[in-house]
Order: sequence, then C-alpha cells, then structure tokens
Amino acid sequence: MTVFHFFNCAILTFGPHAVYYSATPLSEYDTLGTSVKAALVYLGTTLVKLVCLATFLKVSENDSFDPSQELLKALIGFVDVAGLYFASTQLTHRNISQNHKFQAIGLGWAFSDSVLHRLAPLWVGARGLEFTWDYILQGVEANANLVFSISLAALGSLMWLRKNKPKTLIPINVCAGIVASMPSITSYLRWGLGWHFSKVVGFQLITSLVIAFISWQLFSACQKPYA
Amino acid sequence: MTLSLTRQVVEVSASKALLLSSFTLYSLSTQTLDRAPAVMASRKQGHREVLESMYSVIVLVFMLVACVELGDAASAVDVYRLIQYDISGVPLGSRFASLNHHASSMHFSPGVDLTRTVLVIPIRELDLGFVKVLLMVLSSDHYILWWILQYPVYFAFEDDNVNTIPADIKRNDASGQQATATAGGFKLVVSAAEPKKVASPVITNIQGWLSGSKTDGDTNQLPTIAIRGSSWEWCCGAVALLEIARLFSILYSNPRTRGRYNLLFGLTSGGPYNYNGTHKLWLGSFDQRLRETIDYAICLNSIGSWDNELYVHVSKPPENAYIRQIFEDISSVAEELGVKVGLKHKKINISNSRVAWEHEQFSRHRMTAATLSEPSVAPGLLERAGGLSDGRHFVNENSVARIVKLVAESLGRHIYGYQGKNIEIFDDGSSLAINPSYIGSWLDLLSQTPRVAPFLLKNDPFVMALKKELTDHTDEVIVQTEVLDGMFTFYDSTKAILNVYQVASVTFDLLLLLVLGSYLIVLFSFLVIVTRGLDLISLFRRPSSRKIKTA
Repeated sequence: MTVFHFFNCAILTFGPHAVYYSATPLSEYDTLGTSVKAALVYLGTTLVKLVCLATFLKVSENDSFDPSQELLKALIGFVDVAGLYFASTQLTHRNISQNHKFQAIGLGWAFSDSVLHRLAPLWVGARGLEFTWDYILQGVEANANLVFSISLAALGSLMWLRKNKPKTLIPINVCAGIVASMPSITSYLRWGLGWHFSKVVGFQLITSLVIAFISWQLFSACQKPYA
Repeated sequence: MTLSLTRQVVEVSASKALLLSSFTLYSLSTQTLDRAPAVMASRKQGHREVLESMYSVIVLVFMLVACVELGDAASAVDVYRLIQYDISGVPLGSRFASLNHHASSMHFSPGVDLTRTVLVIPIRELDLGFVKVLLMVLSSDHYILWWILQYPVYFAFEDDNVNTIPADIKRNDASGQQATATAGGFKLVVSAAEPKKVASPVITNIQGWLSGSKTDGDTNQLPTIAIRGSSWEWCCGAVALLEIARLFSILYSNPRTRGRYNLLFGLTSGGPYNYNGTHKLWLGSFDQRLRETIDYAICLNSIGSWDNELYVHVSKPPENAYIRQIFEDISSVAEELGVKVGLKHKKINISNSRVAWEHEQFSRHRMTAATLSEPSVAPGLLERAGGLSDGRHFVNENSVARIVKLVAESLGRHIYGYQGKNIEIFDDGSSLAINPSYIGSWLDLLSQTPRVAPFLLKNDPFVMALKKELTDHTDEVIVQTEVLDGMFTFYDSTKAILNVYQVASVTFDLLLLLVLGSYLIVLFSFLVIVTRGLDLISLFRRPSSRKIKTA
C-alpha cells in the first residue's frame, strides 16, 4: 500500500544486513569483497538448484505436501551447503581472520538470498493500494534467514576451516544439517500442516535464535583450546 | 520462500437477474415516496446538520446484487452505472464515472464530514426520502431518472462475498472511526473513462412472416394479422410472441391445417423511447399493399404478472366493427379461461408527439390495432424500461402461458372461423398445448441479459438467438436496424469494475517506521556491544582517567 509501505518493508528486509555490516568489526576490516563474492557464489548455487529442480521434480497442480518431492527438494537444498563450502574454502580472500570470514560469507549469502527471493514481490506487491501483513512477515523472515545463514557459515567454518579438527564433529554436523534443511521444514509446516504464514515466521525466528545460540556455544567451545 | 498471494475466482452463478438497473429506482421511488411525505419532514430536521457538513462531492453506491471476481484488491465487483442521457439536449442522470474514495455506510454519526466519501447503501435500507434530501434535488418529479446528479452512482448485485463489505464498513463506522486518509478502512476505486456519447445507438427489429395457404385460383392477397411484442424492455411480450409463433408454426406446417391468414410477428425495440422501433422502422418498411392487407394488429405489453384482469387498449372508438370483433374474440376466450378483460379507449392526440401505447403507432398508419396489457393506464415515458419489475422472480410463467393461450385461442378461432363455437384449438395435453418450460427457459434467458436498446449492438448474441428462434418458427425473417436519434442521446461506460481495497492509515505507516527504526537502532547497539563491547566501555573510561591525571 503505497511507496511508504514499500519503503518500510524494504528497511525491514534489507536493513539488518547493512546494520550487521556496519556494527560489527566487518566494516573495519573491509570485508565487503568477501561478502560480494559470497553473494555471487549464492547466485551460482541458486541457478544450479533451479536446473536440478527443473530436471528432477514433477510439477504438482495443487499445493499439497508430497513427501517424495519434498525429500528431493531437500537433497537439492544441500547444494546450498556445497556452495557455502566452495565460498569458504575455494575462493581466495584477503587476509581475514576466521572469525570475520564466516561472518562476511554468511552476510553476503543472506543478503543475496533476500534480494533474489524477496525484492521482486516487494516491489510489485507492496506498492499497491491493498494492505496485507504479508510483506512485513516476509521482512521478519528475512531477518531470521540472516541469522540462519550466519549460523550455517559458522558451523561450516568449524567443519572446514579449522586446521585442527575439534574432537567431536557430531553436534556440529547435526546443527548444520538442521539449518540446511530449514527450507524443507518450513515448506512442510506451511503446506503439510497448513500453518498460517505468521506462525511459520514466528517459528523460524525462534528456531534461528536457538540455532544461533547453539552454534555460538559450539564455536566458543571450539575456540577454547586455541586461546 | 516465495510469497503467495491467494487469488480466488468466484464463478458467476447466472441465476440472478442482471440488468442495467438504471430504472430500478423508479419503481422503488414511487413506492417509498408515496409513503414518505409525512416522514420526510421530521427527517429533514434531523438531517439538516448532515446537510450542512456536506460538500459537493458525494458519491452514492447502491448495492443490489453482484458477481465477484478477486483481482488485486480485496474484492472486485462488477458495477453498473446509473444511466446518463440527454433528452433534447437537457442533461440528466449521473454525469460522472470515475471514483476513488473511502467508503462509508449509512450509519455515520451526524455532523460527520462526508466530503469525498462513498456511501454504500443496500437497497433494502434505502430511504429515498433521505436520499432526496441528501442530494438536494429541486425537481418536482420524484423519479431519480429525472435528476441530474453530479456524482457517479453505481449499482451492484448482492452476493455473499460482497455483502461482507457493507457489513465491514458498518462495523468501522460503528466504532466511530471515520474512514479517511488518516484512519484505516475501505477504499473504493472505479477507474472508468470519461463517459462519451454513444455515437449512433441502434435499435433492432426482427420480424417473422408466416404465410397462410392460398387455394388455387385465389387472386386476392390473404389478409394478415400482425402480432407485436417488444424484446428489449418487456421480456414477457417477446416470450409470449415466440410461444405463439411456435404454436402457429406447428399448425401451419401441415398444409391441411394452414389457415387462410398470413401471420406477421414483430419483435421491436425502442419501446420506452416513444416506440421508435415500431414507428419509423417497422411500420415504415411496410409497403402499401402489405399495409392494406393487415386486418389488425395485436401488441403485447406488460403481461408478466397479472392476476385476473387484463385490458385491451384501443385508439379507435369501440363502436368500430373491427374493434368490436377483436374484443369479442378475446373476451369469449377469456370467459372460458376465467379472465376478466376490459376495454379501454384512449384517443390519440395528434399534436402530442409522445405515444402512450404501441397500437397508436399502428393507428397512425391507419391500421386497426389493440394492445393487450395488464395496467389500465399507459406507462409514462421511460417507465418500465427494464427495471427490477422485469426481474425473473417478478414474472410468473403461468401468467405468460395464460396470455399465450388467450391470444392464440382467439387468433385461432378467428383464423379458422370458429368464433362462438366451443372448440379449444390449443387444448392442454394435445400436441398444440402451451409449453410452460419453453416459456420458462426463455424468460430465464431474457431476464439475465441486459437489454437496454441503445447499448445493444447489431450482432449481439442475444439478437442472434432471437433471430434464430424466429427463423425456426416462421418462413421468413428480416432483421432491421436503425439509428436511434431524435430526443435521446446516450452515454457509454455503463459497466465498470469496482475495486475494494482495505487500506491502512498513514498513522499505521508512521508507527511502523518508528518501530523499524528503533529495532534497527537496538540491533546496531546490540551488535556493537557484543562484538566490540570492551572497546566501548574503555572509550567511556578514558576521559575520566584523564581528568584524574590533570587534577
């Protein structure tokens, strides 16, 4: 409903990324290049995922939840993880500490995800006359996604970037698995259980905070031996 | 994670009457205003405050029945504009089309500012006395048709989905919150182009010719009986005509039962517009010989719902032999059916160009004619031109069937020479029985099609359907079209789509901005403290330590 509303929703959707960049030491160490590269890697990953989806997935007419299709989608979703791995390990970055590297990658990843998935609907829909809560909820979802991406990047850095691997990888892997399959879980909640969008977004928010806390604990636990 | 906007498309159920209801309020206005005069005075006092606070731009939207299709808005409703027309250059009707205002219901509190609002009024709650006061009409006529309204007026059909809208609006108003730009509520938008004159509104007539049998050696032309019904404004006349045509075509298909009369069926239009269709076009196209052979003509008018009384209106004096015979034919059959038929004579006023009944057009061309109709007085100009009275539930197919029986029997007896004899040609149960389901299905079709003549094109499927039906039953069908000129000028943009948006207020947006701003600030400070927290605290500590040093 009007450009004002569009402006509001845009702030909600993309503001936190900018705030995160400027508030944390990322801006001091000029990690923008890393973020941009991560964003580009995300773009490539999405294209690959699209191709896989188009090749392997059947198109269903109704919006019901089909387990086999969803499983396939989840598997394709793990391409995301591969993309993150690529961004973390294969690309050459300037000399940035591990700490900041994963944050920059996560940030770039989340920003690109928001732009690709949410900018177009926002531009087209939020400027109309009719008012819906959908765009605000979408913005909140983008925030949760930011937390997820950074958590995933943190867990990924724990898995791949450590020179000395930590003793037990299992909790890390489990957490990473959960985060990576978040899209499938969300769509199951939405279409399979029939949850309302606001409920789904609330669930995502809570889960993201929980996962962030858990990954923070894991990260600091792994930091200790090297202190 | 894509956003999904639910779009529902509700299929139109074609069982409701769908008419360009420009004349519907007429029938309501006569009914309510007749009762209203005493009530109006007291209401005038009460509404004076409202009047004072009103300004020139007020829009009325009447909701009658609607078909709903959801688009970008919460709902989109098909609406039909109150007709806009000129009579001899005098502008009448609703003069504007586009609309972009907030909605309000009739339950607003007095003293409220109604500038730039749309009033959504269900027709049941419509109190025309108040409406009249509201619009400050100075005309002495009570008919809304004769008002010139500087505001758009739209009609819509009622439906479950659409009924929620006035309910919501009422709830909004009841909470005291005025729907303006600053508060929330509903916004109604009709984006219609500026109405333009219909360049050359055409009227169409369809005529069917059923020829009688000529015995060999008969050099004279057979006499003809003409039957005329209007297809455009009175649905029942046309349906009755089709049924009569069907019955007689069965009779005439067999050479042995073919009568010695030709039958000419005419579906004419332009009825309310001074019977233009009949006058210029149809009758003008008859050549002299045809006119001479026409024995008499019967016109069917307003026969949709009647109890037991019908009138035969004539313009020639009742002592005339022809008139007497027609009347005797009809009344003898009527007696058997238990129907009372009265004869009404109204002289033609040559100087007055306005024509009261269709048969007067025939009489002007020196043909004997009569009109069979239910009301005993002639309808006014533009009256009964396709309003609510034409709705399907107002029309009784049994009454139409009885009329058909009456006319067909009297015609049949006249043609076959059975006057006075107790023989029933179109007996129930025989192959010549009146078919009520045929009548019913045609009535359904006609009541669902908007039929105001100037807006119907020549190749309208409705016209084609009527033409095909008449072709089935008669030997020869001719379709004539003519431009309707003279007194009337019509304007287009009759149908539009009303979009109903649920809008949030500007205060909501500002509030949201405030919330978002504070959220981002909190996020920023949280992140700064978490990641660089220690530096910040030491930042605050340093000036105080310097103070200690210098002191």
